[in-house]
Amino acid sequence: MMKIMKSSQIHSETPIEASSAVPRRSRLQEFWRLLKGNSLAFVGLIIFVLFFCAALAGLILTSGTKPVFDPAMVRLQEKLLPPLSSPNLETLRPEEIPKLGVYLFGTDDLGRDVFARMLQGAWVSLTVGFVAVGIAVLIGIFMGGISGYFGQGHIRVDQILAAFVLLLGGGLLAVGAIFSGSALLLIGSAYIFFSRWLKKGLGKQPPPKWMKVFFAGVISIDTLIMRLVDIMLCFPSFFLILTVVALLPASMYNIMIVIGLTSWMGATRFVRAEFLSLREQDFVTAARALGVSNWRIIFRHMIPNAIAPVLVSATIGIATAILTEAGLSFLGFGVPPPHATWGNILSDGKRFIFDAPWLTFVPGFAILLVVLSFNLFGEGLRDILNPKLKERY
Amino acid sequence: MTIRKILIFTPILVIFFLLQSYFWVPTYEEQSRGNPERLNEYIAASIGDASILNPILSADSASSDINSKVFEGLIDRDEELRFRGRLARSWDIHEEAFFYVNEKANIPGVGKVGAKKVVELLKRAKAGDLPASDEVRASLDNIREISIIPAREFLVTRHEKKTETDQEDIEVRIRVMAPNRIKLVLSSVDQDVFQSLSSILGKDYFSSFNGGDYLHVDQELGEKKSAAYAREILPSTEHNPIVVFKLRPDVKFHDGHIFDANDVKFTFEAIMNPKNLSPRVADYEPVKEVQAVDPLTVRIVYKRLYSPALGTWSMGILPEHLLNDETLRDEANRVGKDPEKFSIRQSSFNRHPIGCGPFVFRQWKSDQYITLNGFDDYWEGLPNYKKFIYRIVPDLLTQEMEFYAGTIDSYNVQPHQVQRLKNDPGYQCFSGPSFGYTYIGYNMRREPFNDPIVRRALGMAIDVNKIIDYVLHGQGESITGPFVKVTDYYNHRIKPLPYDPQGALKLLEEAGWRRNKEGWLEKNGKRFQFTLITNSGNDLRKAILAIAQDAWRQIGIDVRTDLLEWAVFIQERVDKADFDALILGWFMGIEPDLYQIWHSSQTNPYQLNFVGFKNPQADDLIIKIRQEYDHDRQVAYCHQLHKIIAEEQPYTFLYVTKWTAILDKRIVIKETDEKGNVVYKKITPTKTGSYTFYFNKWIKLPEVPSFALDG
Amino acid sequence: MLSFIGRSIIQKIITLFFVSVVSFLIIHLAPGKPSQVDPLNPKFTPEMVERFRKEFHLDKPLYIQYIYFYRNLFTGKTVSWKDNQSALKKIWERFLNSLPLFIVGTILTWTLSFPIGIRSAIFRGGFYDRSSTFFSYLLISIPGFFFAYILIIFVVNSFHVPVIGMETFGIGDPSWPRWLMDRVWHLLLPSVLGATGGIAILSRYVRSQMLEVESQDYVRTARAKGVPEEQVLYKHALRNALLPFVTMFGLILPGLIGGSVIIESIFSWPGMGRMAYEAILARDYPIILTVNFISAVLVLAGTFVSDVLYMVVDPRIRL
Repeated sequence: MMKIMKSSQIHSETPIEASSAVPRRSRLQEFWRLLKGNSLAFVGLIIFVLFFCAALAGLILTSGTKPVFDPAMVRLQEKLLPPLSSPNLETLRPEEIPKLGVYLFGTDDLGRDVFARMLQGAWVSLTVGFVAVGIAVLIGIFMGGISGYFGQGHIRVDQILAAFVLLLGGGLLAVGAIFSGSALLLIGSAYIFFSRWLKKGLGKQPPPKWMKVFFAGVISIDTLIMRLVDIMLCFPSFFLILTVVALLPASMYNIMIVIGLTSWMGATRFVRAEFLSLREQDFVTAARALGVSNWRIIFRHMIPNAIAPVLVSATIGIATAILTEAGLSFLGFGVPPPHATWGNILSDGKRFIFDAPWLTFVPGFAILLVVLSFNLFGEGLRDILNPKLKERY
Repeated sequence: MTIRKILIFTPILVIFFLLQSYFWVPTYEEQSRGNPERLNEYIAASIGDASILNPILSADSASSDINSKVFEGLIDRDEELRFRGRLARSWDIHEEAFFYVNEKANIPGVGKVGAKKVVELLKRAKAGDLPASDEVRASLDNIREISIIPAREFLVTRHEKKTETDQEDIEVRIRVMAPNRIKLVLSSVDQDVFQSLSSILGKDYFSSFNGGDYLHVDQELGEKKSAAYAREILPSTEHNPIVVFKLRPDVKFHDGHIFDANDVKFTFEAIMNPKNLSPRVADYEPVKEVQAVDPLTVRIVYKRLYSPALGTWSMGILPEHLLNDETLRDEANRVGKDPEKFSIRQSSFNRHPIGCGPFVFRQWKSDQYITLNGFDDYWEGLPNYKKFIYRIVPDLLTQEMEFYAGTIDSYNVQPHQVQRLKNDPGYQCFSGPSFGYTYIGYNMRREPFNDPIVRRALGMAIDVNKIIDYVLHGQGESITGPFVKVTDYYNHRIKPLPYDPQGALKLLEEAGWRRNKEGWLEKNGKRFQFTLITNSGNDLRKAILAIAQDAWRQIGIDVRTDLLEWAVFIQERVDKADFDALILGWFMGIEPDLYQIWHSSQTNPYQLNFVGFKNPQADDLIIKIRQEYDHDRQVAYCHQLHKIIAEEQPYTFLYVTKWTAILDKRIVIKETDEKGNVVYKKITPTKTGSYTFYFNKWIKLPEVPSFALDG
Repeated sequence: MLSFIGRSIIQKIITLFFVSVVSFLIIHLAPGKPSQVDPLNPKFTPEMVERFRKEFHLDKPLYIQYIYFYRNLFTGKTVSWKDNQSALKKIWERFLNSLPLFIVGTILTWTLSFPIGIRSAIFRGGFYDRSSTFFSYLLISIPGFFFAYILIIFVVNSFHVPVIGMETFGIGDPSWPRWLMDRVWHLLLPSVLGATGGIAILSRYVRSQMLEVESQDYVRTARAKGVPEEQVLYKHALRNALLPFVTMFGLILPGLIGGSVIIESIFSWPGMGRMAYEAILARDYPIILTVNFISAVLVLAGTFVSDVLYMVVDPRIRL
C-alpha cells in the first residue's frame, strides 16, 4: 500500500500536471477514478489488500511463545482431518485445541492446523516477495540511474587499471597470499589518492603527453552497465536461482537475496530508458541551469518521474517471486522449516493428494489467487499510468 | 480474408492433431490384453538413474539394483540370511596361525628354549600330557598341524618422509634376521588360540617378544618409528584365516566365455588397483592374497582376523577377458586416450556390462530406462520374465500415476499409500522391516549430553509408538540398539525406553534440572537449550524434527531446530562434530561389524562415531565381534554390546522403517515341479522379509489367479 | 552494417568470457562438494577422497581449474564426474529429447497467442477482451507444478492412459503411426503446460502492439479512405504490429536449453532442464558449467540474431 500512496503523491508534483488546464482534480482522485473504471484491477487491489491484512494478522497471531494459532503445534492423533472438521476434544490437551473450535482448512500429515500454517505462510510469502523485489528495484534504480544519467562518461584506462589492481589484490588476499595481496591493495588505493590530488593540483592544465594513454576513455559507463545486464541475462534465471540456492545453505534470507540479485535487470533497463528521455527534458535542463547538484536532480526530479514503469514491474515481480519460491519449494530448496510458506505447504501436501487433497488445493488456490491479484493490479496500474492509453478510458 | 482464416484455422488444426493422439494410446487393460508380450516384461520404477554399471565401482543403490541382476557373486544369503553358494559351490574356512619363537622368555617348568623344544611341548600338550582348562583344551584340539618355519634373513626397503612437512622421500633399508617361527594349522578360526597357548608357554611369552632385536636399520629413525616397523615386519603373533572356494563348473558369462578362478582373482586385483578408485577397497584391504589354485578352486588368505570378510564375496565377479590390461590398452588406443591413465573406470564396459547373472544387459538410456533380457545360459535356468526394465521416474506422485496407468509394475510405494491400496482387489501388498534405523544422536562431548541420565530422559520424552503409528502409518517398528532387527545379532530381551514425560522430568531433576518460573528447565541459572538439526529433503526426518521439538518443549526444554542441505549438513556440522543433537539414519549391512560407528578410535573429525561414544567394554566387544568366526559366539558378544549401548543411550533409537511394496495381483511365482507340471504360487515374503527373493520365478498372468483372489 | 556486426560479435565474446568466469566462480566457491568426495560415505576412505580430488583437479588453484575446464570444453574432452560420459554427447542427447517439447510448445504458443491477442485488441474493453485478460493472468499465476498434477491426475483417473515419459512403456513394437501418435500424446500435456505461460504473455503483448498501431496515422488514413475494416486490421495494422515479433524469434533460442526443470521432472522427461537439475544435485560441475556456457552462447546468439533481424526488417533502423 505504501508504494501506491507514494506514487500518487509523486505524480502530483510532476510539472506536466501543473501546466494542465482541465478542471482540477487531485492526482489521487484521478487515480482512484481510473482504478474503479478498471474492474479487474480493482478486484486485484481488493484481494491484494485482504492478503496484506491476512499476512499482517498472520504475523501477529502466529508468532511469539504463546501464539493464538500455533502453526508448529503437532497433534498426531488429529492428522489429515478434512477442512471444517472439529477436533476430538477428549484426546487433546487444553492448549492443543484450536482457537477457532474447528480446523478451518483441515490438518496436515502431522496434525498441524493448516489454517495457522497458511496464516504464517502468508507473511513469509509476502516478505519473500517484497524483500526480493525491493532488492531488485533498488539495484535497478541505482544501476539504471547511473547508466542513464552518467552513461556518456567514459571510464579511463587508469581507472580500469586501478580497479583491476584493487580486485587482484582482494582476490589474492582471499586466496591467501596476504603479502602480495595487501601490497596490491595499497598500491591501488595510493593511486586513487594520487590521481585526486593530481586533478586538484593540475586544475585545467592538460596532462603531460605520455600520460594521455592512461587518461584515454575506453568504455562508457552506459556500455559497462548494459554489458553487465547482458551477462546477468545470459543465465537462465530460474536455473541460476536454483543453482545458487542449492549450493548455499538453505535459509529464507538467502532465497530472498538470491531472487533479488537475479531479477534487477528489467528495472535497470526501464529506469535507464526513462532517464535517457527525461534528461533531455526542459525541467531537468532548468534545474541544471539553476546549479542544482547532480544527485539532487536525480533524486528530487528524475526518479519520481521514472518510477511508474518500475512500479508496475515491481508489482508483477512480487507475483513472480512468490511463484519462484513455490517452485523452489517444490524442488526441495524453498524456505526451510520452521517457516511455513505456501510453497512448502503445497509441496509437502502433494504426497497426500489422494488422501488429503485439501493440503494441495488450499495453498495452491491461495497462491493462484494472490499472484493473480498482483498481476491484475499491476496490469491495471500499467494502463492507468500509461499516458498514451489514458484518453481511451 | 486469408490471413484471418490462417490465423484461426492453424491453431484449431494443431490442437485437433494433438488431441486425436489420445485414441492411439493403450489403456491399462489394453496393455496386458492387447499385447501378450507385456506380460513377459517387468518394469520397475526408480527415483534416480544408475551411474556406473560395474559392481566394483558403483556406490549408489540404483546401480547396485542393476548390477545384482547382471552380475553374480560367489555366494549370497538365503531366506534365513545364511550364506549360500552361487558361483561357488562350497567353501571351507580354516586358519593358519604363526608366532615367533621367543628365546628370551621363560617357559614355566621348561626355561628358555628353542623352536624344537617349543613344538615338542605343544605336541605334548595337545596329546593331553599337560593339565589344561576346558577352553585351552578346545583350542589345542583345534590345532591340526604344528611345524617350524626356519629362521631366515631378508631385506626390506621402505620410503619415509624426512620430516612431517618434507615432500622428499628417503629410502630406509631394513635388514631383518627373522628368528624361527612356528606355524599352526587350525581346523577352524580361533581368535583365542594364543591366549590359550600362553597358559602353557607362559603369560608373557608372546607379549615380551621384541621384534626390534632382529632388525638392523641403516637410517637413524626415532624410537617410535623403529618400534612400529618391528611390529609391522615381525609381529609376535599372526592370524591368517583362509577361505577356499570351490567354484561351480560350466558357468558362462553373457558373451559365452567360461567363468573360472582367474576371474575371481582378477576382480580382487581390480578392486585393489589404485588406478580404479574402487569404493570397496576397505572391504578387501584385509586380504593378503588370492590364489587361483586350479580353474575351479580359489584360495583366499587374510592378513588378520576379520569376520565380515566372507560376506564381501557376494560381490559381482567381473569378466577378466574383457577388462584385463591388454583389452584396456586396446580400448584406450581406439578412443585416443592415454593408455597409462586409462583404467576400468574410463572403460565403456561400465555402460555395457557383461557378467554371469540371470539377466543380460541390453540398453541404457540415461535418465529414461535400462533394459535387461533374461540370460538363456544362466546356470540356475532362464528367469521367467524375458525382459526387465528399470525405469527412471524422478517424482513419487507421477510414479504412482504411472502404476495406475499400467506402465510400471512396481514403484516406491509410500506407507500411507499402502494403507489406501491394501483393500484394493487388484493389488497385493508387502511389507517388512528394513535394515536401516533412524535415531537422534547426541554430541556426547557437550554439556549436558555427557550425562547418560539426561540422554535417557530425552529419549523417554519422545513417544516413539506415536511416531510409528502416525508418521509411518504403522509401517515401522521400534528399535533398541544398533543391530539389524531381523538378524540373530539383535538382542530382543532389551526393552525399549518407555514413553514417560513425568519420569523423564524426574530423571532430569536427578541430574539437577528444575523448572523455572516460565516453565523452562534450568540448572545453575542456565536454561536447558540446544539445537536439533537434520538434513533437508527427507520428510520423515522433518516430521520427527517437529515432533521431538514439540515433545521436549512439553517438558520445558527450549529446542531450536535447523534443516540443512545434505552437503552442508555433513561437511560443516557432522564432520566437524559441530552440533548438539541431530536426526540421522544408518543403513546397516547384515554383518554385525560396528567398528566405524561405535569404536572409541573413530571419534575424530570426519569419522563416523561423531557423537563421541567411548566405552572401553564396548570397544573390547566390538573388536571381538570383528574377529569371531563362530556364529553363536558372535551372537553372544553382540547381545552384550547391544545391552551396553542401550544402557548408555548415546542415541535415542527411534525406529526401523518397514519397506513397503505393491504389485498387481496377476504377478505370481511360476515353478515347474518334478513331474514337469507348471505350478503357480502366490508371492510371499521370506522370513527375513525379502519379497523379491524368488524374483527369477515371477511372471505376470493375463488374469488374476483364483488363489490370489482371497486375501 | 558490417562494422556493427563485427563490433557486436567482439562485445558478445567479451561478455561470454565474463559469464564463464562468473559462473565458474559461483559454482566453485559455494559450500558443499561433489558427491564423489563426500567423506561421510563409509566406503570412501580419506585417501580415496584425496585421489578423487586429484582426478577432478580440485586440488589445484581456481584459475588453473578454470583453464583446465575450458581447455577440455573446447577440445570436446569434458566428461561428467557422475558417469564419465562425454559432457557434450550427454547434452546433445538431452537436447534432442527437449527439442520436440520445445517445438510443439513454440508452435502452440505462436499459433494461439496471435488470434487471441488480435481479437482482444479488436474488441478492446469488451467481454472477450476482459475474459481473455483474466484467463491470461490466471495461466501466468497458477503454480506450474500444481497445475501439472491436477492435469495428470485428471487425465489418468478419467481416461486410464499413461501420460508420463516420452512414450508408453511396454507397448512392444507397434506400427509406426501408432508409435508416432503415442509419442505425440506424451508430448501433449508437458508442452501445453510449458506453453500456457508463453501464450498468456505473448497474447497480452500482441494485444498491446495492436492497440499501439491502431492509433497510428496510417491506420486512421486507411479507415478514412474507406478500406474495409477487416483489411485495415489484418493488412495495415497487423503487418506493422508484427514487426517486433520478428525479432523475438531470436530470443526464443535460449528457451531451447533453459527448458523447464519442474515440468521435466514431473513428467520424467529426460530433457536438458532435468539433466541440469540433477547435475546441480550431484554437484557435477562439468555438466553444470557446460550447460551454462552453452546457454550463454545461445542467449548471446539470440540477441545478436534479433538485432540483425530488426535491422533487416525495419527500414527505419540503420546502424
